[in-house]
Amino acid sequence: MIRTINPKNARAKRALDKKEPKLVENVKQALFIPGQTSNKFLHEAMIDLSGFKKPNIKRFSHRNDVRPFEDVEPIEFYSEKNDCSLVVVSSNSKKRKNNLTFIRTFGYKVYDMIELQICENYKLLSDFKKQTVGVGLKPIFSFQGEAFESHPVYKHVKSLFLDFFRGESSSLQDVAGLQYVISLTVEGDFKEGESLPNVLFRVYKLKTFRSSQGGKKLPRVELEEIGPRFDFKIGRIHTPSPEMVKDAHKKAKQLEFKTAKNVEIDGMGDKIGRIHVGKQDLNQLQTRKMKGLKAKYDQVDSETEAYINEDEHHLNDDSYGEDYVTASEIEPPSKKHKK
Amino acid sequence: MSGNSTSASSLPVTVEKPIPVTYDMGNLAVFDTNTLDKNDLDSSNGAREEHLKSLTRDNMQLMINQILSLPIKTTTEATGGTSGQSATVTLIQLPQPTTELPREKPLPKPKAPTKWELFAAKKNIKPKERAGKMVYDEASGEWAPKWGYKGINKKLDDQWLVEVDDKVKGTDDELIDPRTLSRAERKKLIKKNELQHKRNLKNSMGLK
Repeated sequence: MIRTINPKNARAKRALDKKEPKLVENVKQALFIPGQTSNKFLHEAMIDLSGFKKPNIKRFSHRNDVRPFEDVEPIEFYSEKNDCSLVVVSSNSKKRKNNLTFIRTFGYKVYDMIELQICENYKLLSDFKKQTVGVGLKPIFSFQGEAFESHPVYKHVKSLFLDFFRGESSSLQDVAGLQYVISLTVEGDFKEGESLPNVLFRVYKLKTFRSSQGGKKLPRVELEEIGPRFDFKIGRIHTPSPEMVKDAHKKAKQLEFKTAKNVEIDGMGDKIGRIHVGKQDLNQLQTRKMKGLKAKYDQVDSETEAYINEDEHHLNDDSYGEDYVTASEIEPPSKKHKK
Repeated sequence: MSGNSTSASSLPVTVEKPIPVTYDMGNLAVFDTNTLDKNDLDSSNGAREEHLKSLTRDNMQLMINQILSLPIKTTTEATGGTSGQSATVTLIQLPQPTTELPREKPLPKPKAPTKWELFAAKKNIKPKERAGKMVYDEASGEWAPKWGYKGINKKLDDQWLVEVDDKVKGTDDELIDPRTLSRAERKKLIKKNELQHKRNLKNSMGLK
């Protein structure tokens, strides 16, 4: 556990406030931790991957003795200490060669984990023609494969990569900022029971050409691979508990879009509102004040007069006549429906 | 963004897919659920990378076409640098993301109500409308703050002559300077407020 700090000055307080849960969240920060068995290739692979996540990254330079699937505590500690909710741990063993463990945390507790092992036919960024993309640009994602929509493991992979690389979420996107594509493909369709096919991770640079067919608006799109090129073999998986999933997907009530009732915009673009006014009580209406209009001079109509003057002895009668109805026969008052 | 290529200009800009692809424009993602042939993507296949690239290209063509059909907003933005020039930037308005992704941290908890706030809610007491910090000082003919630096609540502190309360006359307290008394009272209020603040903080911790 990290000790709680009482901020002693405004700067420390601001720094702590930044770590507090927010209604609209910041971009998830990624932390790259070389494991105890990490090697040079994994180091380079992590650098290449972190390049697309810059500037929202932290990278440890020293090896750390962390084994996420054996003990999550150090991961949670690093996550809290560095305020990073995405953690990548590299490790290499005979059984799991060139392994990257992608961990997501929720509230500094491990949310989910997946091991992705880089297969032999990899190519690093440096193996390609040196092409770079600007720092902090949003990629376009392309997911190929039916499994990304149906299979829980590939859904996990999809969610992870979207979460990892999507960057700043904004409602406005500069066209010039669309420069590269992250493509994830399931290595062929598969049936239930077969071993899980690899996930192919490719990054392409986007190039657009003016086309005679697309007219002025639509360009012809071409791609050029810029690397890295990884084939990920899926290893162990840790899935979150249902309660945690529920908690992590909670939506803030304050941010929900409220539809304005009874307000519409007509064909001319004029805003029209409809107001429902309750029934007016005309008895309470204040008219001109004069002596003759006082309540005590109110004229009583003949029907009420007759009712008042009626004999009262039958009201004292205890027997129930035929013309009385019992409570069970009375219909409940139907609620008036308002349109 | 645009280049010129003799080969590209004659190529089609539309793509036909057996199953239409789905988009999450908020996250700039395209999901293609069409069947993938295992042999095309096998690592022993020499044309594998070509196949992957053309697959992605087709999806990107669809994506770009989709992006360009979204509402466009053009703004003039000053470009950074010494030239001070401004350039128009074409921005595309993206809809809300549709893919649900987990939050990083739980939703922020609402602030716990203080003891006074609870009491006020129970008794239906609305906060007093404050007219402002400054009040007009009749004696000096100037506006002065109610409290704080040169506040009028400190008026008594620097009087050369002060009245002694009738109650303390003849007792041992008679010799205590009434000026220091008013100051002590203010300090006491501050202490009390701090205590209440601490108590509320403690209660709010307990509630969590």
